[in-house]
Amino acid sequence: MKGTFLTDVTLAKKTGNEQLKNKMASISREFSYEETAYHLPVSYALTGIAVHNRSTASDVFTKTSSNPLVAAECLLAEATAAGGNESAPYTGFISDTVIRKLGYSLVDGSILGLALLVGTPKSAESAASICRELQEKYMLTFLSGGVIPSLSSAGVKLGLDYRLIPLGSKPLHSVHFVDIVARVAMMFGGVSPGDINRLLTYAAERAKAIVIVFPGLSDEDIAFVDGMRVLGFPILSLGGYEGGDWTPATPDEVVRTGMDMKGIRVTVTAIPIPMACSPAFEGKSIRKEEMQVEFGGGRSPAFELLRMRNPGEIEDGKVTVIGPEISAMKEGAAYPLGIVIEVAGKTMKKDYEPVLERRIHNFINYGEGSWHVAQRDLIWVRISKEAFTKGVKIEHLGKLLASKFRMDFPQLLDAVAVTLITDQDKVLAGKKDAEKIYEERDARIKGMRDNDVDTYYSCTLCQTFAPNHVCVITPERPALCGAISWLDGKIAYEISPSGANQPVEKGALVNAQNGEFEGVNRFVKKASHGEIERCSLYSVMEFPMTCCGCFEAIALMLPEVNGIMVVNREFKGLTPSGMTFSTLAGTIGGGAQTPGFAGISKNYILSDRFLQGEGGIERLVWMPAQLKEELKPRLVPLLAAKGHPDLFEKIADENTAATIEDLTAFLARVGHPALVMKPLM
Amino acid sequence: MIPDLNFGWTSTVGEVVLGATRAEGGTRSHTYRIGGGTTLPFMEKNISSPSPLIAFEICDDPKSWSPIINEFCGDLVHDPGSWAKAAETTYGADLVRLCLTSTKQREFSDVPALGKTVETVLASTSLPLIIEGSNEPKIDSEVFQKCGETGQGERMLLGTAEAGRYRSIAAAALAYNHAIIAQSPIDINLAKQLNILLSEIGVPKDHIVIDPYTGALGYGFEYSYSAMERIRFSALKGDADLAMPMICAPSDSLTIKEVREADTEVRDATAVEWEFATSLAAAVAGAEIVCVRHPDTVKRLKAAFAGLTTRSGA
Repeated sequence: MKGTFLTDVTLAKKTGNEQLKNKMASISREFSYEETAYHLPVSYALTGIAVHNRSTASDVFTKTSSNPLVAAECLLAEATAAGGNESAPYTGFISDTVIRKLGYSLVDGSILGLALLVGTPKSAESAASICRELQEKYMLTFLSGGVIPSLSSAGVKLGLDYRLIPLGSKPLHSVHFVDIVARVAMMFGGVSPGDINRLLTYAAERAKAIVIVFPGLSDEDIAFVDGMRVLGFPILSLGGYEGGDWTPATPDEVVRTGMDMKGIRVTVTAIPIPMACSPAFEGKSIRKEEMQVEFGGGRSPAFELLRMRNPGEIEDGKVTVIGPEISAMKEGAAYPLGIVIEVAGKTMKKDYEPVLERRIHNFINYGEGSWHVAQRDLIWVRISKEAFTKGVKIEHLGKLLASKFRMDFPQLLDAVAVTLITDQDKVLAGKKDAEKIYEERDARIKGMRDNDVDTYYSCTLCQTFAPNHVCVITPERPALCGAISWLDGKIAYEISPSGANQPVEKGALVNAQNGEFEGVNRFVKKASHGEIERCSLYSVMEFPMTCCGCFEAIALMLPEVNGIMVVNREFKGLTPSGMTFSTLAGTIGGGAQTPGFAGISKNYILSDRFLQGEGGIERLVWMPAQLKEELKPRLVPLLAAKGHPDLFEKIADENTAATIEDLTAFLARVGHPALVMKPLM
Repeated sequence: MIPDLNFGWTSTVGEVVLGATRAEGGTRSHTYRIGGGTTLPFMEKNISSPSPLIAFEICDDPKSWSPIINEFCGDLVHDPGSWAKAAETTYGADLVRLCLTSTKQREFSDVPALGKTVETVLASTSLPLIIEGSNEPKIDSEVFQKCGETGQGERMLLGTAEAGRYRSIAAAALAYNHAIIAQSPIDINLAKQLNILLSEIGVPKDHIVIDPYTGALGYGFEYSYSAMERIRFSALKGDADLAMPMICAPSDSLTIKEVREADTEVRDATAVEWEFATSLAAAVAGAEIVCVRHPDTVKRLKAAFAGLTTRSGA
């Protein structure tokens, strides 16, 4: 290419398509490839027609509205029939047997995707480094045209063993790249010949292929290379072209850009840090004597924050430390720390931020010599002396986090960057900003109501031991174990679409007060293997949700006092029902639906939906003192807001009422509202 | 009184074809179509479905095989070809299951040898084959590629896919048209999830056989039984993701204390008793294929199945 002269892709395409059309009219020979059951694979996949001569070729060309790929395929097949196969290293048309092996590696995951390099690079060195990067990223690369001698001159080894396959000396040979994708679609994708829609869907969604174009293509070449866009392959240009829908790129970033565009991800398997990292270390704490340095925990300012960024805004795996490293810190002292994680991904959503942020806790604890407790601006982090001796630095916490997030959320995250701040002023400033974000999040989740969403989430994790149990998780009713909120369910579904958390379409309302919905009933019936016909989300009395065995607490009706009591797992004594928690749990667990009893999470007691079917929290007559104390700071204002400023004191506990007789007397004495409510039975 | 055998089931278990004759592009003498059941095994009024198939397990490296079997089978254990032939002609098995135990060796790398073993076994028996591939995730890709390619056209059953480890075997099934065994650790949900994962990668449902994992009798078999029962109920109630035939391999029975430590004179009999009882229970729970290692167990099972499928009187 000379100077700044650029080829206009749109114009060239037009001319090129004309030229291809003219050449198609001049096909005269018979032609066919050996060792394939797919004839001319592109034409065959598109139309189901076996092309071997002029008439079948023009038939397919017409049927595909003069598709330039079809033209290129026919013309190359004729040229090959006329001139014979090119000599080594060129492979020419590749046999079905080899394609089967290649397809195997694609399904198997040992090849992540396919790349085509076509044209003549200006610099052999930069072409060689692009190939190196493709090799490192487990891509299988096909080459055609001037790029092949160029790579050879730079000493690059070519061949299947090197995952660099030289198709042919001319750019036209890159049509073999497309015939390979077409055959993989037919062999592995269940695409029947002639099923264009299926083929296009397969190519766009399943075939992870990118095209990198060097300068020097003729108008014809441009026309059929551009034709690959129909298959969803991004065309990345390294200069020499302008206009059209080609993505300009530089040699340094072309591979990454292309892989990002097709969502091809390299999975992280090893974490490059000088300490072991495994869930096995999660429970190990670092005592004061074992500690090299610590952060937060009330001794110094510290915070953690995970933010979503737009793809392209952050560099994957980048770890930045702002402020002094561990080597500049005094043994046994406390220092400020800010952990800021930025993530990007096509399916990432802002709502997931807090859920992912909670994982920082697990991940840091996975480190053999790192320890983490609490969350947000209350975090407390320690690094052990042993880890310090092994060379662990603040930077390695960042590497650990960046790697673990990518490993555990491969579907969700494309890039993770971590910034660790140890500079006092910057930590204080960052903490202030973070606190604003925490507040916004709280407001958002707090404001979320069951009526705001159309979809709830199921949890059938416990079906391993409670075969017909189905939890339905709503924004206002967390799973009965208390461990999975609606957002957790949603994110778990996104991450693992065939897992134990599935979306439940609410469907039409059956009973507003009890929270019964057609869609929920339908789902529960199916997921309970036909055992449970109806499920009310907000009622203890009528069709309550099934119970596995993991419930944090049990709500049960006490007919003698027309009320409902709640007992939590920690309470060991007898309840006014005459039974202990464990006796009750044994009675209602195992996936059964037991009217009058419901397994619940503690937080659900604070929900506006709690006991809605029975008239609301006014029904609550008894809770263990410890649970009352635990909930008090949140429950008292909540009751006041509902117009019952004195109800908290009217709820009995084991000290005020140990038996049902005591309870009856207590409730009468304090004038509990449940006594005058509609009879429960 | 005969209880009502109508449970209101609406669906059937899917079918999987194993083996291919010359006319179908393979070299087997016959093929099997397993599955297709509409109720629980041995309960049909008019018995139409065939008895469960009995696969005899052999291996290519007897070091990790039960010494009881090695002693009983003698020199055969060093010659997979003759052993496979004996399984067909002497022991009377319906299928041969070749376990490539040589891959258990440290730093195993002789993948071409595996191809040769598969070829030899294919040439020595005309029964449809089950191939149990790699024991090491690192070499899965190469091993399954080799097995799949060597048996191309024979419609073998390849094992064993697990939740964290199914891509290579799925690729081999897709590339060379074999069926695969999908194993989950005695858990109906994981069984279903794995079947969905396999479907997503493109493996057709009629190429999947569920292995619910078979605990040894007295060492957890009741969990297997319960998981199998529930898998089958789900299939019959219409859950397409669980409507596949099942395969059980009670090979753990040979390693339990009662069998290992049995007196020499009753050792074989004890091994057979445990294999037999576990296999029979698995068949009653719904297994379409049971795999055994002791030649004498094959005969016992044949007789038992014959008894169960013959209805006298009413």
